[in-house]
Amino acid sequence: MLLLGINMSDKTDVLQGTLDLMVLKTLDTMGAQHGYGIAQRLQQVSNDVLQLNQGTLYPALLRLEQRGWIASKWGLSDNNRRARFYSLTRTGRRQLQRETDDWRRMAAVMARLLGGEGTP
Amino acid sequence: MTIREAWRRALGALGLGPSDRDLDGELAFHRDMLEADARARGLDPRAARREARLALGGGTQIAEAWRDQRGLPLVDTLRQDVTYGVRMLRRTPGFTAAALITLTLGIGANTAIFSVLDAVLLRPLPYPNPDRLVTIGDRGPEGFSQNVGFATIADFRERSRSFDELALMRGWGPTLVVDGEAQALEAVRVSWNYFQMMGARPALGRDFTPDDDRPDHWRVLLLSDGLWRRRFGGDPSIVGRVITMNDREYRVVGVMPPSFEPLDAMRYFDARAEVWAPLGYARGGDSSCYGCRHLRGFGRLKPGVTIDRATAELNAIREQLRREHPTDLDTGTVAVVPLRQALTGLVQRPIYVLMGAVAFVLLIACANVGNLLVARSVTRRSELALRAALGAGRRRLVRQLLTESALLSLGGALLGVLFAVIAVRGLAALAPVALPRLEHVAVDGRVLLFTVAIAIVTGFVFGLLPAWRGAAADPRQSMAVDGRGSAGGFSRARAILVVVDLALAMVLLAGAGLMLRTVEAVASADPGFRAERLLSAQFSLVGQAYAEDSAVRAFQARLLEKLRAIPGVESAALADQIPFGGNYDCRGFHVQGRMKPNPEDDPCIERYGVTPGYRGLMKIPLVAGRDLLDSDTASSQPVLLVSQATARDVFGADNPIGAQVRIGGADRGPWRTIVGVVGDVHHADVTVPVTPAMYVPEEQFTDSFLVAVVKSGTADASSLAAPLTAAIRELDPKVPVTKVAALPDLVVEAAASQLFVARLLAAFAAIAVLLAAIGLYGVVSYGVAQRTREVGVRVALGARPGDVLRLVLSSGASLVAFGVAAGVAAAVAATRFLDSLLFGVSPTDPQTFAGAALLLAVVGLVAHWVPVRRALRIDPARALRAE
Repeated sequence: MLLLGINMSDKTDVLQGTLDLMVLKTLDTMGAQHGYGIAQRLQQVSNDVLQLNQGTLYPALLRLEQRGWIASKWGLSDNNRRARFYSLTRTGRRQLQRETDDWRRMAAVMARLLGGEGTP
Repeated sequence: MTIREAWRRALGALGLGPSDRDLDGELAFHRDMLEADARARGLDPRAARREARLALGGGTQIAEAWRDQRGLPLVDTLRQDVTYGVRMLRRTPGFTAAALITLTLGIGANTAIFSVLDAVLLRPLPYPNPDRLVTIGDRGPEGFSQNVGFATIADFRERSRSFDELALMRGWGPTLVVDGEAQALEAVRVSWNYFQMMGARPALGRDFTPDDDRPDHWRVLLLSDGLWRRRFGGDPSIVGRVITMNDREYRVVGVMPPSFEPLDAMRYFDARAEVWAPLGYARGGDSSCYGCRHLRGFGRLKPGVTIDRATAELNAIREQLRREHPTDLDTGTVAVVPLRQALTGLVQRPIYVLMGAVAFVLLIACANVGNLLVARSVTRRSELALRAALGAGRRRLVRQLLTESALLSLGGALLGVLFAVIAVRGLAALAPVALPRLEHVAVDGRVLLFTVAIAIVTGFVFGLLPAWRGAAADPRQSMAVDGRGSAGGFSRARAILVVVDLALAMVLLAGAGLMLRTVEAVASADPGFRAERLLSAQFSLVGQAYAEDSAVRAFQARLLEKLRAIPGVESAALADQIPFGGNYDCRGFHVQGRMKPNPEDDPCIERYGVTPGYRGLMKIPLVAGRDLLDSDTASSQPVLLVSQATARDVFGADNPIGAQVRIGGADRGPWRTIVGVVGDVHHADVTVPVTPAMYVPEEQFTDSFLVAVVKSGTADASSLAAPLTAAIRELDPKVPVTKVAALPDLVVEAAASQLFVARLLAAFAAIAVLLAAIGLYGVVSYGVAQRTREVGVRVALGARPGDVLRLVLSSGASLVAFGVAAGVAAAVAATRFLDSLLFGVSPTDPQTFAGAALLLAVVGLVAHWVPVRRALRIDPARALRAE
C-alpha cells in the first residue's frame, strides 16, 4: 500500500517505517496531538515536499497504538471540538530513539556512498 | 508483528478494538479542519469541501485499510464466510438436516470405536516404562501353555542377564466371612518382587520382602485401595491388623494406592485382584517342579534388551537345564511376549476390524454428503455466477463453499460426539468380558482431538470436489441459462459417488453377513455335550474343616442328596471343573508300557474329577467299556474314563480299556485302570479342535474346588439358581458360591468376541445400507426431477408409464449393478481380514455374498423406482410447464 510519495521524484517507494518514525518524532516534539495536527506538522516541516495522502495516517496511527508506542484518548481541540489525541508512550520514546539512530546510520552510509560518486 | 500487536489485532477481529464510529469521528474532525483552513484561505464552501476531500483521500479506502489494520483480515473473511454459510444452510433445512444426520452417524460411530481402540490398544499401560514389561510362558511339546513352573523361573533368575526382575503370579481364592456370609475375594499370590517389577509401591505400610515369600511365612497381605475403603472403611490402622480367611490368620502389611491397576484379563486367573499375598514357594516343594506349569511368569527387561535377545537367552538356558535335569524338563520352548500384547492380543483384530468398518461408514457418509452438495451446487450455479461476476475470485468462492462443508462437518462432529458418548455406554454393555481395560473407554480429550481431525478431513473430502466444480462455472454461461439446463459433468460425478456408496455398503454387508453366519455356526456347533436345561454353581471347600479329603467327600455326598431333593431338579452331579467353566487342569498322562524315555514328554491331558452321574447328566456318549459307578470309591480299584481324542492320540488303534495310567507324576500315585471311552467335548471354545480329556471319580481324586451341576425338569433352569445356592449355604454358610451360570450361556459367552464383532458389524452394515439407500434415493429423485419435462413430453406423446419406468430403471439398474459388482470385488479383498474371527464359513462364502448383493440390488432398485413412480403421477401438462 502506498503510504506517501515524495514529490521531487518519480520514485514512490519509501523505506518502510519512515512514516512511523515521522509520526513518533512529531509527537515527541509537539506532545499530544490529533491526526489533523500531525498531518499539518508533517506538511509544514517538509515544506510540501512530502505529498501526504492524509487519510493514510489513520491506519498507521492504529498500528503504532497496537504496538504500544503511542496511546490515544478523546479530548477537546483548540476550537472546542471533540478530537482524538495521540501521545508518545515510554516504549514509544525508546522506539523513537532506536529508529532515529538507525536512520542516522543509514543516512550517513547513503551520504558517504552518494558523496563518493560526486553527486550533490 | 509483535505479540502485543497480534493480541490487539486478535481482539480487534473479535470486535473488541476501536469501533468504526471512532474512525468516522476522527475523519469528520479532520475534514472539517481542512475545510475551515481552505475557507480561511478564501475558497468558497464548495471548493473548500472539494479540496478537503482531495487532501484526506477516499473515505472507503481509508476505512478499509484501517479495518484491515484493526483486525486480522483472514479471521474477518472467515467470519464473513461463516455467517454467510450459516445463512445458506438455514435456507435449505432439508438438505442441511440430511447432511447433518449422515455425518452424525458417520463421525459418531468413528468416535465411539476410536475411543475403544485408544483405551484398549493405543494408550500405554499404566506402569513405568511399560514397554519393558513382558510375560514369560514355557510351552510344552503341545505348544499350548502360557504358564511356567517355579523352578524354571528360579533358574532363569540366577542365570539370565536380560532382566531387571522376574516375577511370578498364581491364582488364589480366599474367602472373607462378613456377617456370617462367605464372600470370595479376587486375589492372586505373587512373588515378593512383583510390585517392584511393576514399578508400584504401597501407599500405606510396606511392600513384600524376600522374608515374606517363604513356605512357612507367606500369610501376609497387601490390599487394594478399593477393598480397603469398602470393607475396612479406609482405616489407616489396618496395617498390622490380622484378618481371618479360610480359618487362617493373615496379617495386613500394606495398602496399594488407588492408581495401581491390577493386571486385567489374565485369561486363566481372571484377576482383578483386590488382595495380594506372597507366593510362598521354595525349590523342592510339591508345586515347584519345572513341569508344574500353573504360574504366570513376568519380567522387566533391562533397558535396551530386545524381546528377541531375551527369548534367545532364556531358550539357551532352558536347553542347559534340560541337559542338567534330563527327567524333569520336557522338550519345549520359552515364549517372551510383550505384556501389552499378552493382555490385548486377542482383541486386537476385532477392534481393528470394527475401526475399518466405521471408516467405511464414514466414507459412505462423505460420498452421500458430497452427492448432496454437488446436487445443491447445481441449483446454486446462478448465485455463484453472480458472485463471480461481482468480482469474487475463484479461490474466494472455493473457500466459501469449503466453509459451508466445514460447518456441516463440524456440526456433524458435535452431534457425533454426543452420539458417541451414548454409544460408548452401549458398547461397554455389549462388549465381551474379555475386553481388557474396558473401564478406561471414554470420550475424552484425545478422542475429541481425533474427532475434530476426522471432521476436518471429512469436510475436505466431501466438500472439495463440489466446491471446485461449483466455482469453476463460467459466469456468463451460467447466468445465461439461469441455473437450469444440463449438468452433464455433475451427473457423472454423482454416478461415481453412487457406485462408491453401493460398493462400500456391499463390503460392510458381506462382512456383517459372514460374522452372523459365524455366530450361527458357533451356536449350532456341537460342544460334545448337551448344555440345555443345565445350571452350574462354583464353590470351594477350603479351611480347617475340609483339610481331610474324607470331609470333602462327606460334604459332596450330602450336597448331592440335597440337590436331588430340590423340586424341579431332574438330576445332579458334581465336578471339579466343567467345559466352558473357565478352568483348566491339564495333567501328565503316563501309561504303563507307553511312557517316553523322559516321562515329562508324555502328553498332558485335561482332567475332570466327577461324580458318577456326571456323564449321563451332560449326555456325553459312552463309546466303549463302562461308566463310572457309585461303587468306584476311595477304597476300591482306582479307575478312569478317557475321551476318544485321548484314546486316539495315546493308544492309536489299540484298545485303551484295561491300560494302567498314572496321573501327574510318572513315579508316584496309584496306577489307575481305564474302564471306558467317552465322546469328546470342547473344553472352552467350539472353534478350536477338541481337547483330549480324562474323567476320574471324585471319590478317588478329591478336589476342594467344585462345580455343582443340576438338570432342570423344565426348559428354564435359571429358577433353580436360588435353591441351588441355598442348598450349599444350608450345609455350610461359610462356603463361598462364586459363579452361578446356565451352561448354554457359558457356551455363548465363549464366543463373546465374535458375537460382539458380529452385532456391531451388523449395526454398521445397517447404517451403511440405510445411508447408501438415502444417498441413492436423493440422487435419483434429483435426476428424475431434472427430467420431469422429458417425462412429460414422453407421456404426452403417448409413452405408457411402463415405458418410462423401464427407461429410467434401465439406466439406474446398470449403475446399481456396477456398484454391487465393485463392492463384491472389494469385499473379496476386505473380508480376508476377518478370517481369524470366522468359524464355519469361508471369507468368500458365495451364499453370503449373493445374499448381500441381492439385498443391495433390491434397495438400489427401490431407490430408483419410488421417485420415478412419483414423477409419473404428475399430469403431463404440468410437467411440461415445470421449467
